[in-house]
Amino acid sequence: MRLEAILQKKFGYLAFRPGQKEIIESVLAGRDTVAMLPTGTGKSLCYQLPGYMIEGQVIIISPLLSLMQDQAEQLMLNGEKKVIAFNSFLTRAEKKQALNQLNKYKFIFVSPEMLYFESVLSQLAKLSIALFVVDEAHCISQWGYDFRPDYLKLGEARKRIGNPLTLALTATATSEVKADIKKSLDIMDCSEIIYSVDRPNIALSVEKLDNFREKTDRLLELADSLEGPGIIYFSSKKMAEQTADLLRDKGAKRVMAYHGGMDQESRILVQQQYIHGQLDLICATSAFGMGINKDNIRYVIHFHMPLQIESYLQEIGRAGRDGNQSIAIMLYAPGDEQLPIQLAESELPDKAQIDWIEKWIKENPNAILNISQFEAQIKQLSGLTDVQWRIFNDFFERKSKSGLDYRRILQEMKGYYEGRIKFKRESIEEVYKWIHLKTCRREHILSHFNEKKSVSIHFCCDSCGLELKDFPKNTNSDNQEEPLYDWKSHLEFLLIPSE
Amino acid sequence: MKRSYLKTVIMYCIRELQGQRTIYSILHLLNGKKTSQTIQDAHLFQLTPLFRTFGNLSRDVIDNLAEEIASSRWMTAADNGHYILTAEGMEELQRALLENPIPSSLNGWMYHSAGGLFWERISLLIQVISHLNNNHVKYLPIQRKRAVHEWLKDFLRTSGFARDEVGAVLNRELRQCLENLNDINPAVLTLRLTGYNRIGLTAVQASEHLKISYDYYHHQFLGTIHHILESVRESSDYPLLEKIVSGTREAIQLTLSAQKTYTLLKQGLDLEAIATRRNLKKSTIEDHVVEVALYERSFNIACYVSEEKQKMILHAASSSDTLQLKQIRQLVPEADYFEIRLVMAKFGEGQ
Repeated sequence: MRLEAILQKKFGYLAFRPGQKEIIESVLAGRDTVAMLPTGTGKSLCYQLPGYMIEGQVIIISPLLSLMQDQAEQLMLNGEKKVIAFNSFLTRAEKKQALNQLNKYKFIFVSPEMLYFESVLSQLAKLSIALFVVDEAHCISQWGYDFRPDYLKLGEARKRIGNPLTLALTATATSEVKADIKKSLDIMDCSEIIYSVDRPNIALSVEKLDNFREKTDRLLELADSLEGPGIIYFSSKKMAEQTADLLRDKGAKRVMAYHGGMDQESRILVQQQYIHGQLDLICATSAFGMGINKDNIRYVIHFHMPLQIESYLQEIGRAGRDGNQSIAIMLYAPGDEQLPIQLAESELPDKAQIDWIEKWIKENPNAILNISQFEAQIKQLSGLTDVQWRIFNDFFERKSKSGLDYRRILQEMKGYYEGRIKFKRESIEEVYKWIHLKTCRREHILSHFNEKKSVSIHFCCDSCGLELKDFPKNTNSDNQEEPLYDWKSHLEFLLIPSE
Repeated sequence: MKRSYLKTVIMYCIRELQGQRTIYSILHLLNGKKTSQTIQDAHLFQLTPLFRTFGNLSRDVIDNLAEEIASSRWMTAADNGHYILTAEGMEELQRALLENPIPSSLNGWMYHSAGGLFWERISLLIQVISHLNNNHVKYLPIQRKRAVHEWLKDFLRTSGFARDEVGAVLNRELRQCLENLNDINPAVLTLRLTGYNRIGLTAVQASEHLKISYDYYHHQFLGTIHHILESVRESSDYPLLEKIVSGTREAIQLTLSAQKTYTLLKQGLDLEAIATRRNLKKSTIEDHVVEVALYERSFNIACYVSEEKQKMILHAASSSDTLQLKQIRQLVPEADYFEIRLVMAKFGEGQ
């Protein structure tokens, strides 16, 4: 009963949600733990609560700055003052100051990049760390190898700060990904607590259309007829914005775009407007959603094909956190799979590019020890994009530090990239197959995670039988007339207490 | 045309520059590039109000707009990439400015950095007051920078106003101040404010609400902020607003690096010594001195340029028709560029 008492006292909840208690008990028993809970079922509590029961600091490694900030803010909202998040909201001086007095804090949020710095590691090593948390641990595998070579350092960093008790949290993970997590963190003997990825209250539907135009028309229809709030995901900022404009032109007032290219303040405002019910629909890129606490999202539509089943589940998992019936719809037109394939391939340097670089290094052997100095030159001659260059540079520097000959490094690089591209193509292929599935979509997803469908679900998927008229719109907020705006009364409303 | 207001602003700059600068000097001005050339141009051609009022403007955009202006025959090329307005251009500019006047309170040079900080503070303060009024403590702050949060805590502790009167006083002061706005609807600002159960609009939403273009909205928003800052500076009617503004003004003036140099200057170090101490090039330190001369009206430049040389440079500047440093240099060969820039910085404006 002790845990429940703390839960109520510290967090104001009466009972744990499924899985939480088991994970917390595992951690409190001192076992390294890999935990998988479906999105939106309170993962943060799994490190917050043990944090209060173990002496010392909780270090949370968070892959995305926005997510980190959201979680730090949630803690502060709960009255916890000893929270620090090392991100761009701190000035350099503030960071330095905080770093020198880390023991003042209880919860310390750090990005994986920061663990590159000896100055950070040595300060962390001085602490008595209660718990080392890797949040969204699937990132280690999902895009860690490509975009976050920093994640490869996590195991090393963990060792460096004294192998603290570790909790890796994730919402989705296939057995390969789980293996990656354990290996990378060097917690092979950990306990695994895995809950089903299934969200029975989210119905799954795929609609196949003939072309882009039809997809757009259908999207407008859906946005008009489905009960909100909703999210529509796009794979480009421009499309998200254009569609939001289009919807507003058609008279849907409470629609906004959200993407990483917007300024900080606008992003906060749009997010908050949505949470507070001032908006019904967000046209977003994948930048939107992580860490957003909104219970009553009724639908998630994907206008573009996702890159893998895992990220798709994450995104649709934002619907229906209140447990009420919700729906996920993917719109597909022939050829849609080309875009994700192109995206995947353009992220990595290709063979020809690597050959060019090899030739160049042969002529400029002095560059080997200091490859990053030659960024402009190498980019120009090989046509690497910024992202490609970063990946190349990280790989090269890491390997050349271990004394490998450059020809070997470049050879390895080619093999490695080929493997990654193959893997990505396979992931896309899997989504493609799922789209064209004639049998139960839910069963297929579950089998992807070695699970079986155990309960029968009334609104399961379009293969099992689903009609959109089962998800009718009840309210029509678009027609509400906006009251006339008067700035003086607004100021008064904000600043003078109402009687 | 979606960006017609921005086009008006660019044409306005072209008119003021009188064919003596390139289109890109306008880009640098609107971006607020902190180089001596841009800062000095802003003062020479009295374009300081527009300094850093379109901080994100890109080369492409200004290229496109310039092309449009040229193809409408509103401007023609003078020489070496400089442009002047045609008679039709002058007429069009006048018409456009009548329709959408550049806000008279806009003062980018004075307030570009204080403005941002002031907005962060006041928007957060209002959100906090609104939640206090409704006895709500759990909400996400609309501003995220730690420095602003620290300021707020400090402010609530030390403002000298009782907690329950801050809201009323702020309401009174803001209302009075905003009522004095000449050419801007105060809703430009108030629509953006967030409070209990009511999240403010983004800039885009506010411009749509007011049915004005985003660019014009942006200038009006800045104009409103600058109006408040100017009112606080000029009048003693706004003690609470003054407390909110205080500390933003010092921050506006010099770049951080120039501030450091200025501190050392005041300790009596010479330029060489400062360069060595700070491990910077001497030319960088010279840039700082020029910057200090622009901001600090009381800054005495006699120890860097003799009075006599100052006179010669000023004379050359007034007899030269272009105000280009190179030409002045030709007229006063004994002065170096640093000395000329320094004198122009000190006396350039309002010649």
